[in-house]
Amino acid sequence: MPELQLSEAVAASSSRRGFLARAGRLLLGVASGGFVAAALRSQKAEAYHFCGHIYTTGSCPHPVGLPRIDRNGFPLRAVDGKAVDDLGRPIDALGRPVDAEGELWLDPDGNPLPSAPRTRVCSAAGREFGFGPRVDGAWYRCCGGRVRKLVDCCGFVRNRINGDAALTGYCYRGRKVFCVMYYDTKIKC
Amino acid sequence: MVGTVRAARHDGRWAFALTAAAFASGLALGASVVFVGLGLLGAWAHTRALVVAAVAIAAAAILSDASGLRVRPQIPFQVPERWRRRMPLPRALLLYGVLLGTGLTTFVPASAAWALPALSLALGDVPGSFAIALGFATGRALPVLVLAVGAEETVLAERPHGLRVLRLLTAASLLLALVAGEVRAADTVAVPGGDPSVAAADLAWQRPGVSGFLSRNGTVTPLPGSDPAIGGALVAWHVGPAVTVAARDTLGPVLQQTLPGVQKLAVSDRWLVWRAGPEIRVLPLSDPTRSARVAEAKRVAELGRPALDGDLVVYHRASAAGSWLAAVDVATGKRHRLRFARDALLLNPSLLGTSLLYVRASRCSQQLRLGPLGSGKERVLYRLPPLASQDRGHERHHTSQGERLPCPHRPKPTTRTLWTTALSATTAYVTVLRPSRGGRTTPTLLAVPRQG
Repeated sequence: MPELQLSEAVAASSSRRGFLARAGRLLLGVASGGFVAAALRSQKAEAYHFCGHIYTTGSCPHPVGLPRIDRNGFPLRAVDGKAVDDLGRPIDALGRPVDAEGELWLDPDGNPLPSAPRTRVCSAAGREFGFGPRVDGAWYRCCGGRVRKLVDCCGFVRNRINGDAALTGYCYRGRKVFCVMYYDTKIKC
Repeated sequence: MVGTVRAARHDGRWAFALTAAAFASGLALGASVVFVGLGLLGAWAHTRALVVAAVAIAAAAILSDASGLRVRPQIPFQVPERWRRRMPLPRALLLYGVLLGTGLTTFVPASAAWALPALSLALGDVPGSFAIALGFATGRALPVLVLAVGAEETVLAERPHGLRVLRLLTAASLLLALVAGEVRAADTVAVPGGDPSVAAADLAWQRPGVSGFLSRNGTVTPLPGSDPAIGGALVAWHVGPAVTVAARDTLGPVLQQTLPGVQKLAVSDRWLVWRAGPEIRVLPLSDPTRSARVAEAKRVAELGRPALDGDLVVYHRASAAGSWLAAVDVATGKRHRLRFARDALLLNPSLLGTSLLYVRASRCSQQLRLGPLGSGKERVLYRLPPLASQDRGHERHHTSQGERLPCPHRPKPTTRTLWTTALSATTAYVTVLRPSRGGRTTPTLLAVPRQG
């Protein structure tokens, strides 16, 4: 947790380490909580096809549908946050397909069934639509009681995935938004 | 038309026979052009939607003919009447036959006539379409010729029950054809059974936890080992690390070799290939003391079961970065990448000559595909739904605007997985894995005709 590290860093210069660490943590918590709450109060409206999306750009192509990603941009199943491969199958940490209970699928010899490709959602969009994909910026909203990070998939494109003109959004250096994805954090809001 | 054919009887028996033959030939010619053309078109643009549409049209035709509904749509075009006055009768009847054979002219007596072009298009197969064409031509020619020989033209019009019975028969035939087509689409060879291997008329497979089996001329023989492979005049199996290569006809051993870690085998008259853990190896049967590595899987990649035809080994390599089918000429060491996919799973190839059979599992379907070894047009011989469902594309209480779904039609996913393959001159074999408890799977071996 960055807050904990920062508070401890503040306290590290003091001889009364325990007290200051707790006090620093409290101060940071109050300050950041107030900031997030204030930020979210004014930004909760105007949802589009998923919560937090405030403009009309369409979803990036995703193996399950809703463009939920993990922190590295790989696809997750929106309903439960489970990692999926490009075929939409739930997988384990090594990319091998698992059943609903999380058990590895095995072939008749008892070996795990082979892993299917797993592609970052923005990369898959770039490959499918022929542009150099890049994740530049993001914005945050409160969705379902958690902070959601909304991520633009950017490229040097004229048109976005919807087919009409692309906008700059949170893209930099001349890139424009092609499609959008989201990452659900565990931070309550 | 009956009257026109009957008119030839006035010129004698031979003239009548010539006229009747010309009419039947014209029908066959016209029907062949149309239906074979549709078959070729279907082969070029084969999609699941075509098959679904054809089956729907056929089902509607069966219902219509069985319940005696009016045949709709009807065709308002007539054959040119002047031909029979201006041309010799055989030539006129030949041309009438061509026009009627196309199905684009005159009264449509049964709704089944509309199902046949759709089925031909969906079939996407020239021999099958030709058979449909001949059936269509026969169906049109017989009533005309029979009535021309022995009855009045008005007999069907005066006895509508005759036409009713004909339509019932047509509906039954169409239903039978659909059912037979579905049954022929995939025959079960063995349950449980998988990992097929085929050479000439012999088929071998593995029954999990039991042993390999060999089927020859309808007789199934258990083999004294597991993971059987056949190729050329040989058959191979293993018991633990002890591998036996035997003559296919007598099962008499020609080579016994210990190969640590052996899991899967492939054999030809000159080579024995096996997969052991992360590598595939080969040894020449003429000198079994030296073996060589064919391929090795690094880190998280996985190598599939090897298949061998002559000197060429094919196998799949699958990883999270992509999957591909590779071929290695074990005589020269030359390597080829046959297929590659970044977003699909290519599995368990087998080959026969220049034909390649393999499984392609993508986001929206699983397919058993047959194509040339190099690049070229492929055909889907068998298909299963995808392995995962999709969500609605939008969250609850949100609009659908901007959503993007992976498959055009919401798929009904399956847990059955297409797996290992084998290819003969007439039949493609594929293992279907069915899930059981604890992530385990049970194999079923299916046979799918290469044509049709």
